[in-house]
Amino acid sequence: MSAPTAARPALPGRLIRTLEVRMLGLALVIAVGLSLMSPYFLTQNNIFNILDQSVVIGIVAVGMTFVILTGGIDLSVGSVAGLTGIVLGLALRDLPIPLASAAAVAAGAFIGLISGVLVAVFGLAPFVVTLGMMAIGRSLAYIFSGQTAISGIPESLSAIVYTTVLGIPANVIFLLLLYLAAWAYLTYTKGGRTIYAVGSNREAARASGLNVLGYSILPYVISGALAAVAITFSIAQILSADPLAGNQMELDAIAAVVIGGASLYGGRGSIIGTLIGVLIMVMIRNGLNLMGVSPFWQGTAIGSIIILALLAERLFNWRSAR
Amino acid sequence: MSNPMSAPDSGPALVARSVAKRFGSTQALSDASLEVRAGEVHGLLGANGAGKSTLSRIICGHVGRDSGELLYRGRTLSPRSTREALDSGIALVAQETSLAPDLSVLENIFLPELGRPGRLSFPDMRRRASDILARLGRDHALPLDQEVRRLSAAQRQLVEIAKALALDADLMIFDEPTASLSPSEVDRLFDILARLREQGHALIFVSHRLEEVFTITDRVTILLEGRTVAASLDTARLTQTDIIRHMVGRDLGAIYATPGLDRRGGARDPVLEVTNLSARPIVRDVSFTVHRGEILGIGGLVGAGRSEAMEALFGLRPRDGGTIRLKGREIALRRPVDAIRQGIGFVAEDRRAQNIVPDLSVRENLMLAHLGRHRGFGLGYRQRQDRVGTLLAQLGLPTDRMDASLLTFSGGMQQKIIMARWLLIDPEVLILDEPTKGVDIGTRSAIYRILRDIADQGVAVVVISSDFEELLGVTERVVVMSDGITIADLPTPILTEEKLTLLAAPRSSTTRNRALLETLAREHGAFAWWALLEEDSLICLGTAAAATAPPLDLRAGEALHPRDTPIPRALAARAQGIVTDGALATLLVPLRNARGHDLGWIGLTAAADTPLPDPGQIAAQVRRLTRDSDDIEGDAA
Repeated sequence: MSAPTAARPALPGRLIRTLEVRMLGLALVIAVGLSLMSPYFLTQNNIFNILDQSVVIGIVAVGMTFVILTGGIDLSVGSVAGLTGIVLGLALRDLPIPLASAAAVAAGAFIGLISGVLVAVFGLAPFVVTLGMMAIGRSLAYIFSGQTAISGIPESLSAIVYTTVLGIPANVIFLLLLYLAAWAYLTYTKGGRTIYAVGSNREAARASGLNVLGYSILPYVISGALAAVAITFSIAQILSADPLAGNQMELDAIAAVVIGGASLYGGRGSIIGTLIGVLIMVMIRNGLNLMGVSPFWQGTAIGSIIILALLAERLFNWRSAR
Repeated sequence: MSNPMSAPDSGPALVARSVAKRFGSTQALSDASLEVRAGEVHGLLGANGAGKSTLSRIICGHVGRDSGELLYRGRTLSPRSTREALDSGIALVAQETSLAPDLSVLENIFLPELGRPGRLSFPDMRRRASDILARLGRDHALPLDQEVRRLSAAQRQLVEIAKALALDADLMIFDEPTASLSPSEVDRLFDILARLREQGHALIFVSHRLEEVFTITDRVTILLEGRTVAASLDTARLTQTDIIRHMVGRDLGAIYATPGLDRRGGARDPVLEVTNLSARPIVRDVSFTVHRGEILGIGGLVGAGRSEAMEALFGLRPRDGGTIRLKGREIALRRPVDAIRQGIGFVAEDRRAQNIVPDLSVRENLMLAHLGRHRGFGLGYRQRQDRVGTLLAQLGLPTDRMDASLLTFSGGMQQKIIMARWLLIDPEVLILDEPTKGVDIGTRSAIYRILRDIADQGVAVVVISSDFEELLGVTERVVVMSDGITIADLPTPILTEEKLTLLAAPRSSTTRNRALLETLAREHGAFAWWALLEEDSLICLGTAAAATAPPLDLRAGEALHPRDTPIPRALAARAQGIVTDGALATLLVPLRNARGHDLGWIGLTAAADTPLPDPGQIAAQVRRLTRDSDDIEGDAA
């Protein structure tokens, strides 16, 4: 069915056809709704709160976006965060902060490398490989930590959170720079476009001479490394490394990426969409807290909103396809 | 249709009037009409996007219609589901898509019954399946317990047909049924269609291939841009030009670009030389050379290993032997990127699976091979920007849809864009695997002209095609592959479809012929050969020599002018007796298969002083060996 050359739709039409714009609209609707329900929601204080709460999940979601774009999934990010947090906590006993953080990030990247090689070289299903890594990571986190949280983290680590530039906390600035870099990488570099091409049609990418193997592994390495970066920010805030940290983080990250419009089959999605997805998730949780909704009900609320967002998206696509 | 109950049997089985269907912004059908009688094969033709498939899918209940009338045996038909259409006796024979690959043949034939309540009786199903296959004249062609996954494309299609018959379908729609069949399999399919026609079924045959339309259909209806432009014309009164004019709405001129306007004889430089390439088990021994400015064809049947050989060459498939030389220098290609950087381009066969990246824009799809070749961190799109503009103009592609999805383009346009992807990096060699598969006839001739143009610009072009007519129309030379081996390398002008069919026959199916040659050579101490013979050419298909035989410079897969052989008199005479050329005595016997098809000649050449046997005796020996065997047909039946 060749479509006859469609006239270029007017600007509003083009915008509404862009998924990021629709999701941004959804985010604004949620923000307005929450500010109506809670006058505190739109205060400067709470906005910083929301941004601050977005940092950890936002960093992990970047790695998850890379993995999902190739058609994979990384279920291990939560327990990799837990394990690398313990690595950081232990390393800080003997090493200066930069070296200890580097060790944690290297550990995360190494676990990602193992997953990536198993997936890309041996062709194992990403779901299963990272499910295995999830179990291994959590188990090692308990063993290395001796089943208890590691305290006594040097207070100077918290400086990375509480430094501000022009009144904006350093961790928020880091988050925004990370998204900027990831966006530029995915949009303007050979590697970034290769990741999209691999996720969209692996065979065609291979036949066109793209490095399919390398760019199938890289996203897992990035995901593992960013899980370690994320937990570093988290530990800097609470000054304690808990083997249970990062529990269920993978679910939030995947939800954010999917709300941001990525396809779990790969090839489709964007880093801007993911950022919006993260903000939607955090705003909802924050708003529910402000309204005093029981934490036990929050899961139901967030789950429903994820499903409704995807359902609306699917209905929209059906309507424009028919 | 005033009184549907008394509709006469001879009336149309199916009438569609002014059917319209819109998908989003696309008007797929606007005014489609079709009338099909019982006992006819009705061709439904049209370029890609003309609405053939949409109309078929509406008739089968896969999609609903927006407006229009549909009558089946005089009753209004409004299938809301495939199930309803099936229940009224309408079935679509799709291209192997509606089979469950892990179930057995038997289970697949009766797959629709699994959706009905009640128990299944396997012995009963087995008996009915045998009956159906007998009606199709293919009694033992299908192992009923085999998993469908392990069947050939032709066998799967047979399962599809049997499945439709198991439902007592009276109206069957064949959507591009020959797309993945070899010529002999197509013949067998046409046998089956003819049987179904005799048994009173109404058949709709959807196809791009005009020669098939002329072979099998009784009447044709032609769609153009969603409306019927020619209804129920008698095929016998049509010419190819008529049909093409209706399909594209204008006169097209010759389909094939005149080859070789600029042929500079045999002195062109070889660009790519491949010797003894192997990638077991499929590719066993492939050698060929392609020259600057030449279009070389790779012919053969589906399954001969042609695509696999090219994939092995290109680094998409591991090789286990052979050398590749580019402009005289041996090169090592381990991955596609090596080949691309050496200047080899490859348009793979399956457009959707191997070429199109659906989530990238048209622009990025165009740039994909550039991206693969590009060294560096960035994209380097800008350096190709000017070339993109000229290429799009040259290929007749729109420049204002660069940000659209490639999937919104027609098959022909997609193919042009994939070709542009490779032309953009200025290849020395461009390999195209079935470049016109699923491409409408209008765009096909454009693609042929483009191939000619790029060859004239000095690119060495290699075209793989199962369409022998296309090979003959486009190429200057054809290398024939069979069972993973290159068995012939012949100039196109001396070839015909019949000769290609014989050359391409699977080696397994010519075992008997080769055994015959061996026997003759041994028993008579002679040089035995099998060849196609014409006034000015001899194409050798096989040889066997006894130790005492005179050396005769004939090799399988070679073409010679009779005067360049040592036995010109014998070849000219073609007498049913011994003819001597100097010191050589030759006996020629025509070879026919059981159905009387001409399969060339068997020759026996010995020293003039050796007593050759009585010609009648040899002829009898050849007949005896060929009589009761299908094998010797060389798949030409």
